[in-house]
Amino acid sequence: MRTAPPRESDFTSRLRSPAVASRVGVALGVCFALAFVTGVVSHWAQAQTWWIPYPTAPAWGYRVTQGLHTLSGIACIPLLLVKLWTVFPRLFQAMARPTTRTGLLQLLERASIAVLVAAAIFQLVTGLANAAQWYPWGFGFIVTHYAMAWVAIGALLVHVAVKLPVIRAALGADVESGALDRPGTAPRSAGLTRRGLLTTTWVAAVVAVLASAGNTVTPLRRVSGLAVRDGEGPQGVPVNKSAESAGVTETARDPGFRFAVVGADRTVELSRAELEAMPQTSATLPIACVEGWSASGEWSGVRVRDLLDLAGVPAGTDVAVQSLQQGGVYTRTTLQGSFADHPDTLLALRLNGEDLDIDHGFPCRVIAPNRPGVLQTKWVRSIEVQA
Amino acid sequence: MAARLALGALGVLAGLYGAVRLLQTGTDNVTAALWWVAGGVVVHDGLLAPVVVVLTVLALRVLPAAARPWTAAAAVVVGTVTVTAIPVLGRFGARPDNPTLLPRDYVRNWLIVVALVVVGTALLALVRTARERRVSPGPSTGRPPRGR
Repeated sequence: MRTAPPRESDFTSRLRSPAVASRVGVALGVCFALAFVTGVVSHWAQAQTWWIPYPTAPAWGYRVTQGLHTLSGIACIPLLLVKLWTVFPRLFQAMARPTTRTGLLQLLERASIAVLVAAAIFQLVTGLANAAQWYPWGFGFIVTHYAMAWVAIGALLVHVAVKLPVIRAALGADVESGALDRPGTAPRSAGLTRRGLLTTTWVAAVVAVLASAGNTVTPLRRVSGLAVRDGEGPQGVPVNKSAESAGVTETARDPGFRFAVVGADRTVELSRAELEAMPQTSATLPIACVEGWSASGEWSGVRVRDLLDLAGVPAGTDVAVQSLQQGGVYTRTTLQGSFADHPDTLLALRLNGEDLDIDHGFPCRVIAPNRPGVLQTKWVRSIEVQA
Repeated sequence: MAARLALGALGVLAGLYGAVRLLQTGTDNVTAALWWVAGGVVVHDGLLAPVVVVLTVLALRVLPAAARPWTAAAAVVVGTVTVTAIPVLGRFGARPDNPTLLPRDYVRNWLIVVALVVVGTALLALVRTARERRVSPGPSTGRPPRGR
């Protein structure tokens, strides 16, 4: 038995062929592009200043884009594992001397592949763990996942540019054609055919997606046994951050609590009873989290616009929403003027016919259409015109 | 060729933009991230891929020819879906203050998925084999399934 590393020619399986790699690669590329675009949309939605205002409609928009983000990411996992398996022999490819033109190009291509594989695995691993709120690392998830998304999509574009002739040739020929195979590829399969492997791969991606799609696709809740949420929770809605972990169990229940609207020249303070005495509005809106789960609820409370009118805040003003929560990235967020003025944007007091559960933001919380859950601030202390 | 060059240039720009954004997160953050960036490749290329090669070699020795394609298909589905289930199977992110997070019995549900895939593949194999026997009577040819 040889102890040296294997050579590319040691791998003879018919399945490790560009014919398979390019077909799986197309599906993988589509899923990665979908995850990238929906991820950029999510960062746009979570921005605190906007070049282009984020739209308030459709109300279910973020629910759909973020559901697509996590599900396309899940689909990428089986696709990437099979893709890497089909091209694994290339890792042991004989290299020309890097001082020659061929050698230099080979080296550059391998470097771009290393970046692509590393970034792709990193994105899928960190995204998957984040959906289950598992953070075994020392870096900031949001900024790092976003930066690496650009690295991954960049390396993917370079890879497609380099491989385009092979991809076109492979897709233009029958999948069982041996025209593009490495020398030494077996003429017959010892197990699955190439078509069989492709079918298997699509099935694996679909099973992985179905197993967690119930996070956001309500009818699939009973089917998705591996979903991080089951759609249940206090008042029929799951919770992302509990009152206990936000450290607000005392302050949120304080009978002396006063909500404040701070305008440019006056401040209005209101108790929960006074908020309840104001005209109440109901809206059916989803809570849609960056982790990909979402659930719809019937919220009722006071229109944010009505509250801003009390303090003389003009229409179209961006306002800051301050939570009772101490510390954390989302304790103070900006509510874009177009959202603040939207008739469905509420300072909610009730959910599904009951007073808000403390884990849903009692005494009052913001709920607006088409917004990431992390910006639907809970335990709201004040809404303020920004200095 | 011009299209490929443009695509490649766009890719390099996007990648550099990502690299700059990463560097802007600070030295400590970049260091912590790079361990995980490199770690993913090392775990895949150095551990997962070789283990799959060894398991394939063993399976080829043990399994009769007729069972190979079906076993491979079931193994690909179960194996890759299991990778997607690692965070929920370990319940690593579970918090005592939030019972709505990771609320299910994931080990049981994973076993159900595995059972469904195994039973589904076995049924498909029986149906296909029976059909092939009807078309050409005689001993099983051990032909791999024809995907559609």
